[in-house]
Amino acid sequence: MRMLAILLLLFSFSFANLKVVATYPWIGELVKEIGKDRVSIYVIAKGTDDPHFVVPKPSHIAKMRDADLLIMQGASLEVGFLPPLLQQSNNPKIQPGRQGLLDLSEFVKIIEKPVSVSRAMGDVHPEGNPHYQLDPHNIPILAEVIKDKLCQLDEGNCVYYKGNLEDFLRRWDAKLKVWDKGFSKLRSVKVIEYHKLYDYLLSRYGMVLVGTLEPLPGIPPTAKHIESLISQAQGVKFILQDVYHEKRTAEYVAKKLNARMVILPHDVGAVPEANNLFSLFDEILRRLNP
Amino acid sequence: MKKTLLLLSIFSFAFAQESLEELKRQLEEQRRQIRELEKKIEALEKQKSEAKEEVKEEQKPAPADRTLQLRAKYEERLKAFQVYPFRQTAFLPDLSLIVDTSLVGRNKNDQELKRLEIPGLYHRHGSEEHGILNKNRGFNLNYAELYLYAPVDPYFDLYATIPFSEDGSEVEEAYAVTRGLPFGFQFKVGKFRSSFGRLNAQHPHVWDFANQPLVYKVFLGDDGLKEKGVQLNWLAPTPFYLLFGVEVLQGENEQSFGTEGFKVNTKKDGSGTDITIGDTKKPNLYVGFVKTSFDVGDLSVLTGLSFATGHTRINHLDDEDPHAFAGKTKLYGFDLTAKYFLDSYRYISFQGEYLYRDQEGTRYAYDDAGNLITPSIKKKQGGFYSQVVWRFAQRWRTGFQYNLINKNDVKENGVKINLSNNLPAYYAMLEYNPTEFSRIRLQVGQNRAFFQDGSRKTVNEVILQFNFAIGAHGAHPF
Repeated sequence: MRMLAILLLLFSFSFANLKVVATYPWIGELVKEIGKDRVSIYVIAKGTDDPHFVVPKPSHIAKMRDADLLIMQGASLEVGFLPPLLQQSNNPKIQPGRQGLLDLSEFVKIIEKPVSVSRAMGDVHPEGNPHYQLDPHNIPILAEVIKDKLCQLDEGNCVYYKGNLEDFLRRWDAKLKVWDKGFSKLRSVKVIEYHKLYDYLLSRYGMVLVGTLEPLPGIPPTAKHIESLISQAQGVKFILQDVYHEKRTAEYVAKKLNARMVILPHDVGAVPEANNLFSLFDEILRRLNP
Repeated sequence: MKKTLLLLSIFSFAFAQESLEELKRQLEEQRRQIRELEKKIEALEKQKSEAKEEVKEEQKPAPADRTLQLRAKYEERLKAFQVYPFRQTAFLPDLSLIVDTSLVGRNKNDQELKRLEIPGLYHRHGSEEHGILNKNRGFNLNYAELYLYAPVDPYFDLYATIPFSEDGSEVEEAYAVTRGLPFGFQFKVGKFRSSFGRLNAQHPHVWDFANQPLVYKVFLGDDGLKEKGVQLNWLAPTPFYLLFGVEVLQGENEQSFGTEGFKVNTKKDGSGTDITIGDTKKPNLYVGFVKTSFDVGDLSVLTGLSFATGHTRINHLDDEDPHAFAGKTKLYGFDLTAKYFLDSYRYISFQGEYLYRDQEGTRYAYDDAGNLITPSIKKKQGGFYSQVVWRFAQRWRTGFQYNLINKNDVKENGVKINLSNNLPAYYAMLEYNPTEFSRIRLQVGQNRAFFQDGSRKTVNEVILQFNFAIGAHGAHPF
C-alpha cells in the first residue's frame, strides 16, 4: 500500500504542470497570464464559435480526462455541451462539488437577471446575462479568482502565480485607464445589437441599447420585428454584429437607419486582431471609433 | 390572560379577612377596571384590523410605505405555519418531457404491413408491438418520454428515461453512473442502452431520421439493445479519445438473444411428449467495445468496434405458425462518423455502421403433418446503413440514408436456403428546427426489404414528424 502511494506520488510529480481546461478562449488567456509555463491549458471553444452552440466533440473528453481544473463561464452558457463532456470525462477531480471545477460567474455581478423565465421568452438564462467578459473591469477580479484557485490546487507555485497576477494587474490597470478614456467618448451613443452579447460593455460605458435584431434571445430576426425596430429606433449610431451570425440583417438595418454596422469580437480569437485579452479590448475600441 | 389573572386576584380577595363593605367596594372597583380594560382591548383590536385592511389595500397597487411593508411581512411570519418547513423542492431532479408525434402516409395499410417479413431476419408478432415508431397510417403518438437526472450523492449520478405511450409506460432506462472512480474508470449499473455501436446508445429523439436503420431493426429489434446489467468503461490516458468498455447484460433482447427456455411438444396438436429447453445461464449477454476519436482541423472523426455474444432463446410457439429457436449468437459492429464543421451552425456529416450476425442453433417447428422437426440452423447475416446529413443553416437540416442488407446466408441442416441477400431501403429527410427544443421533419422513404409469401413488397412512406422537448435543457449531440 505504501509502495503504491509512493508510486502514485512519483507519477503525479512526473506531470508537475497543473492541467487546466477552459471552456472559452478568454478564460484560457487569463489562465496563461497567471500560470504561464507552470500550467498547461486546453480550450474547448474557438473564438469564432457561437458560445451557446459549441460542439461536444469526443476529442475534448480526452483532454478533460486528466485535467486538474476545469474553468467555466457559467450562468448556463455551457449547458448545451459541457454536461455530457463532464459526464464522459471519467475524471472525479473536475465534477461539480469538487475543488477542480471553477465557475467564474459566481464572482462577478450578473446583470439582466430575469424575474421569471419561460422558453416562450426565447433562450433566456435564469441566472441573467452570461457574457460578462466584455466588461474590462471584471477581468482583474477574475484574474485574482484564478490566482487563488491555482494557489489552492498548487500551493508550491503560489508565489509564482501571485507575481504573475501582480504583473498582469499592473499592465491591465494601465490599459484600463486608456480604455476608460476611450470608451467614455461613446457615452450615450445609441446602439442596436444582434444578440444581448455586448451588454456588459454598454452598461459599463453608458452606451444606450435601443434594441436587438433578434426578436427574442436565440430566435433569428423576423421581417416584422426588423420593421418595427427600424420604425422606432432613432439616432442609432452602431449596429453591433457578432462574428458568427449572418450579417445581412445588420447591414440592412444599418442602411435604413443610416448607422454603421460594426463587427465586434466577443472573445479572444473571434477576429484575427484580437489575439489576446489586451488586444480584444483594443480592437473593440478601435472598431467603435471613427 | 389578563382576565384570568384578575379573576384569580378576585378569588384571593374573597378569602381576605376584610369587612364586607370593603370587599364590596373593592369588587366594584375591580369590575370597573375590568370594563375599562375590556374597552381598551376592543379599541386596540379595532385599530389592528383597520391597520390590516390598510395593508391589504396598500399591497395591491404599490407597497409605498416601508413600515407598512415591514409590518405586513411580520404578520406573514407570524402565520408561518402556512409554509411547509421541510420543503425539499431544491432537490428536485432535472426533469424533461419529450413528445414525438407523427403523421404517416404509406402505400400498405396497417394490416398488410403487419404481415410483411424480412426473410431470415425479421417478422412481427402480435405480442411485440411496442417500440415501433410511426406504426400506423395517419396520426401516431410515438412517445411522451419523461427524463430525469440528478446526482444521488457525491459518488453516483442517476438517470432514468420513462416513455409513456397511450397504453401505459415502462422504464426504458434507469441507471446509476459513478462520478468519482480514479484512473479514468467509470461504472454503470441498472437498465440502460448498451454502448454497442454508434446509434444504439442514442435516444430516438436525437436520431437523424424518423426510424432506426434497417440493420438495427433486424438484429436488435425495434427497441434496440436495452438491457439490465453493468458496464465498466475506461478512458485511456491518450491525447486523443480512446474508450474501452465491457458490459455484462441480462440478454433478454427478443431479436437476437433471450433467456427464457420453453417446452415444445413433439406434435403440433399437443398429443406428443414435451421436450424442455432450459433457460440460458443468466446473465446471458457479454458486450465489448472500443471507440476512438480525433480531429483533423474542422473535421472530427469518431469510430468504433463492438462485439456482443450470448445465448439465444426465441419462443413463438403460441403463433399461428408455431416455431422456436435455441442457440447462440455473436454480433459484430463497426461504426464511423465523420463530421466537418463549416462554422458554428453548419456541418456536413457522414455516418455509417456495419453489423454482422453469426447465429447457430436448433429451430423447433412443425412439418405439414404436425410432427416436430428440429433442423440445425446456421445464419451468417450482415448489412449496413450509411447516411449524409447536411445542416445548411442554423435551423435547417437535410439528409439521405441508404440501408442495405447484403449478406443473408441461412443454412438448414447444412443446406443453404435460398433467401434474398439484396435488401435495401432509402430515406431522405428535410428538417426545420425552430429552436433546440422543437423539430419538424419531413421524411420520404422506400423500403424494399419486405416480403410476403416469397415475393418482394415495396413499402413507400411519407412521415411528417413533430418533436418537442420541455423542461431541463438537453445536451446537443455530437
